[in-house]
Amino acid sequence: MNRLEIHDILFKVEKPARYLGNELNSVHKEVDESTVRFAFCFPDIYEIGMSHLGLQILYKLLNKQENVYCERVFAPALDMEQEMKENNIPLFGLESRNPIKAFDFIGFTLQYELSYTNLLNMLELADVPLYSKDRTKQHPLIIVGGPCAYNPEPIADFVDIVILGEAEEVILEIINAYKKRKSEESFSRRDFLIEIATIQGVYIPCLYDVDYNEDDTIKGINPNTEGIPKRVTKRIIKNLDDAFYPEEFIVPYINTVHDRIVLEIFRGCARGCRFCQAGIIYRPVREKGFDRLKGLTEKLLENTGYEEISLASLSTSDYSKLDMLVRHLIDEYKGDRVGISLPSLRLDNITLQLIEEIQKIRKTGLTFAPEAGSQRLRDVINKGLTEEDLQSAVKKAFSLGWTSIKLYFMIGLPTEIYEDLEGIGQLAFKVLDAYYSTDKEKRGKAINITVSASTFVPKPFTPFQWEPQDSLEAIHQKQRFLVENIKNKKITFNYHDAKTSFLEAVFARGDRRLSRVLAQGLKAGCKFDGWMEHFDFDRWMQVFEECKIDPTFYANRRRDYDEVLPWDHIDVGVTKKYLIKENEKARSGEVTVDCRSSCSGCGVNKGIVGGIC
Amino acid sequence: MYKLRSRFSKNGDIIFISHLDVMRVFERALRRANIPISYTKGFNPHPIMAFATALGLGVSSDAEYIDIQLDEKIELYDFIKQLNNALPKGLTIIESSYISSKEESLMSVIKRSVYLVNFKLKDAVSKEDIINELNKFKNLEDIPLEKEKKKKGKRKEKTIQIVNIRPNIYGIEVFSLEERNAIIKMDLAAGSVANLKPEIVISKINEHTRLDIELDTIRIHRIKLFKEVNGSFVTPLEELKTL
Ligand code: SF4
Repeated sequence: MNRLEIHDILFKVEKPARYLGNELNSVHKEVDESTVRFAFCFPDIYEIGMSHLGLQILYKLLNKQENVYCERVFAPALDMEQEMKENNIPLFGLESRNPIKAFDFIGFTLQYELSYTNLLNMLELADVPLYSKDRTKQHPLIIVGGPCAYNPEPIADFVDIVILGEAEEVILEIINAYKKRKSEESFSRRDFLIEIATIQGVYIPCLYDVDYNEDDTIKGINPNTEGIPKRVTKRIIKNLDDAFYPEEFIVPYINTVHDRIVLEIFRGCARGCRFCQAGIIYRPVREKGFDRLKGLTEKLLENTGYEEISLASLSTSDYSKLDMLVRHLIDEYKGDRVGISLPSLRLDNITLQLIEEIQKIRKTGLTFAPEAGSQRLRDVINKGLTEEDLQSAVKKAFSLGWTSIKLYFMIGLPTEIYEDLEGIGQLAFKVLDAYYSTDKEKRGKAINITVSASTFVPKPFTPFQWEPQDSLEAIHQKQRFLVENIKNKKITFNYHDAKTSFLEAVFARGDRRLSRVLAQGLKAGCKFDGWMEHFDFDRWMQVFEECKIDPTFYANRRRDYDEVLPWDHIDVGVTKKYLIKENEKARSGEVTVDCRSSCSGCGVNKGIVGGIC
Repeated sequence: MYKLRSRFSKNGDIIFISHLDVMRVFERALRRANIPISYTKGFNPHPIMAFATALGLGVSSDAEYIDIQLDEKIELYDFIKQLNNALPKGLTIIESSYISSKEESLMSVIKRSVYLVNFKLKDAVSKEDIINELNKFKNLEDIPLEKEKKKKGKRKEKTIQIVNIRPNIYGIEVFSLEERNAIIKMDLAAGSVANLKPEIVISKINEHTRLDIELDTIRIHRIKLFKEVNGSFVTPLEELKTL
């Protein structure tokens, strides 16, 4: 297949390096008849997509397979999209510059709900029919995965295959099954989909029918074909030390959001914050061993030349060998000036000491996430961070010379009252006081505290999955209250756009009827909805109206425990019974302990792990 | 401490990465090539290196220069070989030389640059015509260019200044002409004191002569970069102070 000619276009668009496809460690392969071609699509621009760890892992994993060629595709920026349309250039794989329409698989990773329209737009740019039912043997199979795929119902009509859970093993099983069938004269999409539907971690939406009640809630979700499981179960990698991890990362030419080595140290989270979807869907906690991480680091640094390594997980300070690992990295790579970053830290005195040592190499700001302003509300959401913890951590930080502190909060949490909001301001001022009470000799100059408030979005598979989101009016009022409450030159207050969070809430807990809304949204020109400069709320509301669908039905309605939820046929291991128990405990402000102190019986040990966590 | 000056080229797809990107690419290539670079002190250490000029996006070149500081001396041959192995296709070190630490910075000595500029004319012209038109252009005493200047201290306010760019043009000649495709060679001021971009000159030629140029077909290639030593123009690797 010939490479598409894009050279002249590259002179016209912004950041043409997004479209080159030949970065360090990118893979270029010869293609023949038997090659299974896979387009790994990220439904956002290059800089965001290239910062995604899953892409780096699966790209290398797939390309390691014989006869499989995986290429990257990102949403072209609007100027590039325009040029491509004018020059009749369909969406192409960056590496080969071949149209992805001719590929075997088009895969999308779903990291946030507001990228759904980009997914559709990319299918359209690729010249592939949007709806699964309209595609034939000639078309690629559309496969999705990632956190939003746990409730894929809003995009169920567009996709063929959904991967539930960690993809490293199951994706190869799907491709191997496909390899066997690909050359068969009698290849039928439907037969192939039925064949793979029994693999654990595979969900085929078209093999299930949804019935509705008169009040628009769901009556039932059932397989429409014999031999198809009634519930589909997620897949996990049991031993992460044996799991594939790339020894080289693609190194972008241009600056991306996370332009560094990402070393994943464990999966899952033991804490059980009740608003957090990741904390449930990635259960149980599985760590990587020190030796494995040591070996990977050496290879990754050698193969990339990166000057920074980030230790990634949902809660980095919970890694049992964090101290040992960080000290090793400092000792071994200090000479090469390799910086270490520790995102998602819970800051206490021990971790601060560690950070202090890291700071000797590279300096960063400090981030705390109390999430709620009062102890009462923190108990409701099971965020085990007390005011004393925060106080002592910031005091220590100030005395070590830090001057930039970020505090993250959520507003609109279940049971929230204005006292909790007042607490946000009070906490910020207490942090400021802690700075002023620090010895002048020790503390740095120019204190800067940033308070960020995002809007709570109830997510599937969390104890809050039944909760209504606050109405837009209520959120706007709370935001105004906070603006008035946190007026201080040293404190910067930011809040997220509530309308975006509203739409996120609609699609997060949506059902199949929303596919129509998304298709209509695309027609109306909605894309890049996660970008403030492109997001058009009024246009969306018009789309909902045209489709005769009330978005508040999904976002702002309290659901009963016995209502059939759109994702009830999907099993993430944690039982509904457990989530109900947690929701009840939240209402009475009762906390649940960390999995490491004692198991609270979420169920993942029974269905998925088969033993104890 | 050792200082190395090198000339490198930028060709092919890699012309689409910006100057900042080139800096990062060099930084990481030097690390992968295990070259004993010196680092800046402080919280955010960076390799000590400096470029001659910032080449525009989409411009190719055979005459880019970089100074790199090393903690240990290594053979020039090894340096070039190791670094070229680590650099992406399109970025290539052509020659290197150790220079005295007293040598002035590249940025401060660069004065002129020679470019080949390729473009399409809307209508075919004869070689005579194009030479005549360019002569007419060169005979202009005043070629005004509007420049936006930011007001001191004020972030948003801008004033428009009109400058004469003629003194920054040292030479323009026809390099080749094939029907509508023309290549012009230009010798222009470059560096921190005065700097003139070839695309601006082309747009001025378009404005002041009868040549009708398709502006989106302009392709620029730098062939030389000069510093000034005692009134004569030589490359940054010539007329070096003795080590
Ligand atoms: S089974 Fe127990 S230990 Fe395992 S994740 Fe669930 S609550 Fe935590």
